[in-house]
Amino acid sequence: MGMTRLRGLVLYVHLSTALVAGAFIAILGITGSIIAFEPELDHLSHPHLSYVSPGGKLLTLQEIGDAVSRKFNGEPIVSYLLSESPDLSLEVVLPRGIVCVNQYTGEILGVRTRGQTVLGFARATHIRLASGDVGRTIMQWSGPAIIVSLASGLYLWWPGKRFRIRSGWRSKGFWFDLHNSIGVFFFLPLLVVATTGTVIAFEDQAAMLLSKLSNPVQVRREIVAQREAPAGAEMITADQAVAIALTQMPGAIAYRIQMPRYGGAYRVSLEDPRHKVVSGRNLITIDQYTGSVISSSRSTESSAGEMILAANEAIHTGEIIGTPTRMLMWLTSVIVPVQVASGLLVWWRRWKTPAGD
Amino acid sequence: MKRAIAFVLLCSAAALAGDVSGTWTGAFKVNGGDHTVPQVIILKQTGNKLTGSGGPNTEEQYPIENGKVDGDHVTFELTSGEWRFSYDLKWDGPEEMRGDLGLKSLDDSRTAKILLRKPK
Repeated sequence: MGMTRLRGLVLYVHLSTALVAGAFIAILGITGSIIAFEPELDHLSHPHLSYVSPGGKLLTLQEIGDAVSRKFNGEPIVSYLLSESPDLSLEVVLPRGIVCVNQYTGEILGVRTRGQTVLGFARATHIRLASGDVGRTIMQWSGPAIIVSLASGLYLWWPGKRFRIRSGWRSKGFWFDLHNSIGVFFFLPLLVVATTGTVIAFEDQAAMLLSKLSNPVQVRREIVAQREAPAGAEMITADQAVAIALTQMPGAIAYRIQMPRYGGAYRVSLEDPRHKVVSGRNLITIDQYTGSVISSSRSTESSAGEMILAANEAIHTGEIIGTPTRMLMWLTSVIVPVQVASGLLVWWRRWKTPAGD
Repeated sequence: MKRAIAFVLLCSAAALAGDVSGTWTGAFKVNGGDHTVPQVIILKQTGNKLTGSGGPNTEEQYPIENGKVDGDHVTFELTSGEWRFSYDLKWDGPEEMRGDLGLKSLDDSRTAKILLRKPK
């Protein structure tokens, strides 16, 4: 096959991919840029429920639980979601919804009811077009479509190696130059976000492949004995359960405590800052009567496959280093719809005026 | 005589309505999800009120709330972590229940079809 013919074929692949998958690729980028800062946007959308003024002594979980029970007629507490930052409120999960509490004063800030939010819709659209199996399949294959576009785009760019933007956005070459320059400048981040996203979209298959290459990706399940109260026994408090869990993992930070009524025992989730990629994957299960540790699942016990998948996700979301990589992933997501739009505009102009640039 | 007939009819109606009490097992896959989630539901029916628990296995169980049996229509809810599960089932014979499951978290809302069977 001659070089001209091959180039024609690659151009055909590049255009066809954009025409078939362009809309879905653009949706991936737009929704990705929204959910890149999902926690922050979520807090900003409910400022009166999210933010507190730090100061004073932190109340115990028992005191906070009592305040919530008084307010909601003894409705059972499902779990406590501890604050990630001193200026963010603590959340208490009830069957009716999530109660936001000022952990310094015990003030009930309000209740968030369950159901889809704008941010939840953006995430659902990113993963499954906010629909079912068909939407999920479309979005799964949009990742590989980006990789095909990038590879074919690089091949097409390579001989001329244009890296400039001619003045005037109305000029014939402006969109072509913009498409080329941005595509090459952001080639690596775009490739990383598309590849890691594809791995997440096909995580089951990736896990299967990784188990063949290394140790099996273990699906751990703790054994929790649902215990009847021994005669005269009293339940330990959530605060005591956290203290016990912390003795098992010194240096870790508890971020979630599930109450024994829901699941049969205290389940304390901990974050271990020493293991950045899998930091939050620690769970200690504690008997509510004796305080003994029933089971524990620690991030350090993760298999190589699990570590690879966790690192892949951290790269995709930008959590791997923190704010700088989250910003980079956000910017890369913003670039995606720009590339789709500029590419289609170039194609449209050429189609309308074949003799154009 | 009329009282006897009425009593027999009442007993027959009760027998037809039956009792969903017992352990039911099954699974669901959320529409657009990639995993099948196992289910073990332990029900106790008293009149048309339903109590018990449910979860992915016999060890991890969550209490049933707002449980109700209305003819062959069985509804109940349970809270597992941040998710609220709403079961809307049709009792399809003595050993099978099927229907819809609604799942709601703080920011998401999903649906699934669910089939539960009573192990023999």
